[in-house]
Amino acid sequence: MIMLGEYLKIAIKNLKTRQLRSWLTILGIVIGVFLIMSLLSLSQGLKATVLNQLRAVGTDIVMIMPGNISDIMTTLIGGMELTEEDLNTIKKTQGVQAVIPNVYKGILMKYQGQTKTVILAGMDLRNYLDIYENDIGMKIEQGRWPSPGGKEIVVGSLVPTDVFPGLKINTAAMIKGRQFEVVGILKSRGSKQDDMMMGLDMNLYQGITGEKKGAPQAIAKIALGFSVDQVAKNIKTNLEENARRRVGSEGGSAYSVLTSEALGSIVGNIMGIIQVVVFAFGSIAVLVGGIGIMNTMYTSVRERTKEIGILKAVGAKNSTIVMIFLMESAIIGLIGGLGGMIPGLGLAKLIQAVGQVHPVFYIEASITPGIIIFGILFSIGVGCLSGFFPARAAAKLKPVEALRRYE
Amino acid sequence: MPEAIIKLEDVWKIYQLGKMELPILKGISLDIAPADFVVILGPSGSGKSTMLNMVGCLDLPTKGKVFLDGQDISKMSEDQLAQVRGKKIGFVFQQFNLLPNLNALENVMMPMIFQGKSEKERIERAKSLLASLGLEDRMDHRPMELSGGEQQRIAIVRALANDPEIVVADEPTGNLDSTTGKKIMEILIDLHQNEKKTIIVVTHDPTIANYSSHVVRIKDGQLVSNHLAEEKVLWSNNK
Repeated sequence: MIMLGEYLKIAIKNLKTRQLRSWLTILGIVIGVFLIMSLLSLSQGLKATVLNQLRAVGTDIVMIMPGNISDIMTTLIGGMELTEEDLNTIKKTQGVQAVIPNVYKGILMKYQGQTKTVILAGMDLRNYLDIYENDIGMKIEQGRWPSPGGKEIVVGSLVPTDVFPGLKINTAAMIKGRQFEVVGILKSRGSKQDDMMMGLDMNLYQGITGEKKGAPQAIAKIALGFSVDQVAKNIKTNLEENARRRVGSEGGSAYSVLTSEALGSIVGNIMGIIQVVVFAFGSIAVLVGGIGIMNTMYTSVRERTKEIGILKAVGAKNSTIVMIFLMESAIIGLIGGLGGMIPGLGLAKLIQAVGQVHPVFYIEASITPGIIIFGILFSIGVGCLSGFFPARAAAKLKPVEALRRYE
Repeated sequence: MPEAIIKLEDVWKIYQLGKMELPILKGISLDIAPADFVVILGPSGSGKSTMLNMVGCLDLPTKGKVFLDGQDISKMSEDQLAQVRGKKIGFVFQQFNLLPNLNALENVMMPMIFQGKSEKERIERAKSLLASLGLEDRMDHRPMELSGGEQQRIAIVRALANDPEIVVADEPTGNLDSTTGKKIMEILIDLHQNEKKTIIVVTHDPTIANYSSHVVRIKDGQLVSNHLAEEKVLWSNNK
């Protein structure tokens, strides 16, 4: 053990004597680890953010969408909607306590001389205020909820900062020539889209948009004492049977009924894939860095052949030589890892900060001890791995032949 | 004569150059007694350095046997050989072969690291050895900053670091002027006489032979003569 310390000193000394090359090699690792660390922490953060949002939704809530979840783009782009009949079918399914159509539309809104497109959502505040609050997680930060039937709107937490800077409650906004009063501001729900919406009573929404029937999605609350999974299954069966009856014998349309748990695992899976991809790309960069280490170490073995011969002549074992060379490459890996991790995580934090200021995207950088430890071990591992073959080549040198080489 | 510390038995070294076989040593047998001072004399290309490499456990014979303290070195593992080199043998080279990035003290301590000596022990021994050859004010200097004679003295100190029984020197004066070379030889003789070390010096310079009672002449890979002459202490006459 004492000897390892001595070898470490020798290794550090060796690296110091060829500083420029050591630093360049380290730089190769820095870039790779920088990439991996920033991307990993961002994708980890993205995953955490999305999962957190989902968690705010109660477990007794299911989401119903037309179309197959595995083909979600078709559903969204194709503009498939739940019909009024579908909504009724859901409502009639046993165990469903309430169905809330999830309706929204982009619309022009004028506020103190500024006109902008905003997302307007219709909310059935008369019947389901408690579900919005307790199950979907919408809470009032300032002001109050619109009174049912009143020409009042509630806005998301980012509206006063990003959409209409300086917006205050108890002021007037114009939508389609009608005047509404802003009566409340919601607490943040963690996602940019949610926090930039405007909500108003369902009847008024229908009046403004002219959309009276159907909804792109609906949310159903499952009554106490029923199995969420079972009811979700029943809703799906009922909807599909209904559709089949309507269209005729065969081609019934598909519906997706997602429990918040299922949604969580779907999102988790997608994020997992993103992380794997991100890691794979980052790894390529680190691999290139590793090849750089290998190159430097091989050069170093050639250059120091005579030195290796001398060390062997004065009693160094093969394992000693391997140890010294491995330590050198591990140190390169370690320094490169630390050097890449700090700016990498810094960049992730910066992106997070930028995302908070500008309403383009919201992403959180996740910097956990796990990521840091992983980064350090990973870069040391790359160092050792790329140093292994050069180290073995050094150890295999025959002392006489090594000594005979004159530089 | 006491039992040989080094014994060469019909030693052959044959290098393979493509399809050609190039014998460098052709059946050399030689006994070296403990505390002997042997000069191996031969022209360049005679195989004397190759022979020294066998004696120093740096190389193994193609045929024949080399015994060190009665042990056949070709039966030792690489690690055992490294251990033997570190512990029982000290090397002095024509090129000095000090590690260029280490200072004198660190160079001397290096062999002791491989023998697991503690740092305190290493520093103490290295300093006292360096002082004994008048190098106490050269300890922080790197080889580049030292004269050839100083470098060779440091190399000798390094060879002595682990208090070996045998010191092998391959043309130790070859890169030095005659005055400095003489000083180096005096150090080796002193080691022989006062510390009872077995010293083996390889050279092509016949004047070196004058320092020793045991001169082995080698030519074309074969022993020409192996004289245990009367003690000729020319070096002391020259003082």
